Amino acid sequence: MQCIRLEYDVDGENFASAGNASESVKRTLKQMGVSPASVRRVAIAMYEGEINMVIHAHGGKAEVEIYPDRIDIYLKDKGPGIADIDLAMKAGYSTATESIRSLGFGAGMGLPNMKKYSDEMKIDSAVGVGTTVYLRVDFE
Amino acid sequence: MKVSEFVQASGFAVFCRGEEREIESGYSGDFLSNIISRAPEGCCWLTVMNNVNVAAVATLIDCACILLCEGTEPDEQFFQRANRLGIWVLGTNMNVFEAGKIVSKLCNV
Repeated sequence: MQCIRLEYDVDGENFASAGNASESVKRTLKQMGVSPASVRRVAIAMYEGEINMVIHAHGGKAEVEIYPDRIDIYLKDKGPGIADIDLAMKAGYSTATESIRSLGFGAGMGLPNMKKYSDEMKIDSAVGVGTTVYLRVDFE
Repeated sequence: MKVSEFVQASGFAVFCRGEEREIESGYSGDFLSNIISRAPEGCCWLTVMNNVNVAAVATLIDCACILLCEGTEPDEQFFQRANRLGIWVLGTNMNVFEAGKIVSKLCNV
């Protein structure tokens, strides 16, 4: 099946550009005529992942494949990794610092939101090596 | 009510003019992950946060406008991004509750 491939560098030092990749994907899906509800789910799930890479992992890469019926998103970083994925998935759990919280993040809702707004989510992580998050969102 | 009409009726400050939109509801909050998952599309989003991520989140949720309360003003990065993305950013010295009452009354939401 033919797909559209997009790739983004997520700058880990820069909160000003955090969200650029999800904004771009959102625009692309809109132009392709994907339903607004699906576009919103993709944008939310991907934005949370992007923000996580900026907050926790000094940035990384976002690879996106858009198919007629779904989108596959791979968020890859070389950050510290997640020691306990089940704990990280718990709503309200966060390791974000006070300065990150003052920006409005660190509510411990990032991973739960990504799961809630995607149809499939897989986390592959190794401490000291990095994390890859796979997200699939099926279009309506 | 359209955002431009709301600006006129409320007398609230305008930091950034955006695309003309209808205000369909209101939502208040400062924790961005809550906003992202719960704020309805087309809402007037009341917040006291003033950093650049507010503009990014506003686009994701497709709100009609951002209303900065309690005298909050957008910083330069926030302003630039809101401008680029075509988002209305309004401001008032009122607290979130008082400002929300105005939104509710004028927009009938």
